[in-house]
Amino acid sequence: MKSSLVGQAVILAALALLPAAGEAIYFRDKISWRSAIAPSEMVTVEQARGWGDTAIWVDARPDDEFANDHVPGAISLNEDRWNELLPQFLALWAPGKKTVVYCSSLSCNSSREVARRLRKEAQLSDVFVLEGGWEAWLKKKR
Amino acid sequence: MIMCLGARAELKWEQTSVELHPAANDKQAVGHFKYQNTGKTPVHFKSVHASCGCTTAQSQKEEVPPGDKGEITATFNIGDRTGTQVKTVTVETDEATNQKTVLTLKAEIPQQLEITPNFVFWKQGEKPDTKTINVKVGKDFTVKHLKVTSSTPDFEAKVEEAGKGEFKIDVKPQDTSKVVASMLTIQPEDSQKVFYATARITNAPQVQ
Amino acid sequence: MKTAEKLPTINYQLSTNRRFVWRIVDFAVAGIFIYAGALKAIDPVQFASDIDNYKMLPWSVSVALAFYLPWLEIFCALGLVFRFLYRGALSILSASIVVFTLATIAAKVRGLDITCGCFGHASQNWSFPAHLITNLAILAGLLLLSFKATSGNRLQNSI
Repeated sequence: MKSSLVGQAVILAALALLPAAGEAIYFRDKISWRSAIAPSEMVTVEQARGWGDTAIWVDARPDDEFANDHVPGAISLNEDRWNELLPQFLALWAPGKKTVVYCSSLSCNSSREVARRLRKEAQLSDVFVLEGGWEAWLKKKR
Repeated sequence: MIMCLGARAELKWEQTSVELHPAANDKQAVGHFKYQNTGKTPVHFKSVHASCGCTTAQSQKEEVPPGDKGEITATFNIGDRTGTQVKTVTVETDEATNQKTVLTLKAEIPQQLEITPNFVFWKQGEKPDTKTINVKVGKDFTVKHLKVTSSTPDFEAKVEEAGKGEFKIDVKPQDTSKVVASMLTIQPEDSQKVFYATARITNAPQVQ
Repeated sequence: MKTAEKLPTINYQLSTNRRFVWRIVDFAVAGIFIYAGALKAIDPVQFASDIDNYKMLPWSVSVALAFYLPWLEIFCALGLVFRFLYRGALSILSASIVVFTLATIAAKVRGLDITCGCFGHASQNWSFPAHLITNLAILAGLLLLSFKATSGNRLQNSI
């Protein structure tokens, strides 16, 4: 029995859903459906605040933005002066600490880059990027 | 589909993507994006906006008369960045079509030494075993010898060659009873440039 | 009469040769899509990022397509190989090539510097003309096969 072209296309489209769903489940920890960073690497303001003193806040924004205002107790670590600022951060860090890196907003890239370098170069674990960045922090402050 | 049949402003870009290869000691990488107004009416720049604070972009002029040429200069401040860096500049104009153009600046930052990890630590009371820092020489560089010194006598650092373009630095603390830190200065022979790694004895982890 | 006896044999030989040539085209086109699909299925995270670079769709849609499209390509390509749901497979593959090509042209016009994503990150260093020519060549192969299929070839297996 010959089925129509549309019927055949629909069957193929449906067949492809099965392995696609399987892959989506397999890769669920590696990809976030909400933003372009792995879910295991992102943290919300509430979660980070919940960590209390275990969290070290890292401001990845340029010096002038940090000087203007920043999360209380945060330390500045940006790529402009990485070599100069890194030792200060490492002096504060201790095993068991959770590092929360933020930049201005969800769309800015600096926090991801700083987090990536801390994981790769300093080989630190428990390094997170703050979802929504400084903007999200300000919203929660109100 | 009804297209506007009147005179149109049209900015044609020579290229929208520039690849730069700054030298090792360069502080900036500059990209030039040339354009020409091939339309019949002037084009106005509404905004020129870079993707990060590390890049500034300027247009020579705000208005481009028909037939005129110009360029947008994008200056990327390298700072302490390494590897492949991609920065974009979004240009908005008052053209009827194609109002937004994304200019891409790709810079390959040469790195003389890649130091991994650049941080070694021991918890207070932990056995003072040797920990190794691996140093890889960048592909466009030649380093025959490395000199490593510790800023405090609390740590000992020994360098060994580990193959072509690779070195190993073995770091060992004298003891781990006190919380101390040291800056390890890593300098290639015959080079002014200095690299750093940190060695520390940390507090024991806090238990929640 | 020897000539009359020879004619059916010659016709059969020509028909078999033609069938063989069309099967080669089937396999060649299918091979390209299986290769392209497999490259993207192995790294859906990177493929999602490549789709997102076109800046045409929300991120969540890019993720959904990154998981789904490679398998659609692979299944359709297998349809060509095994002559299973053949016409449906041809139409889906043709549509996907057209959409990919139009998206690549649109991105180029908008001044975006992106990798096509068609062959996963393997095609990241291809130039725009190379992408375009490759896509058009694949489309030509698909259109030829579609034409052959709709011209009533009795060897086509449709279900």
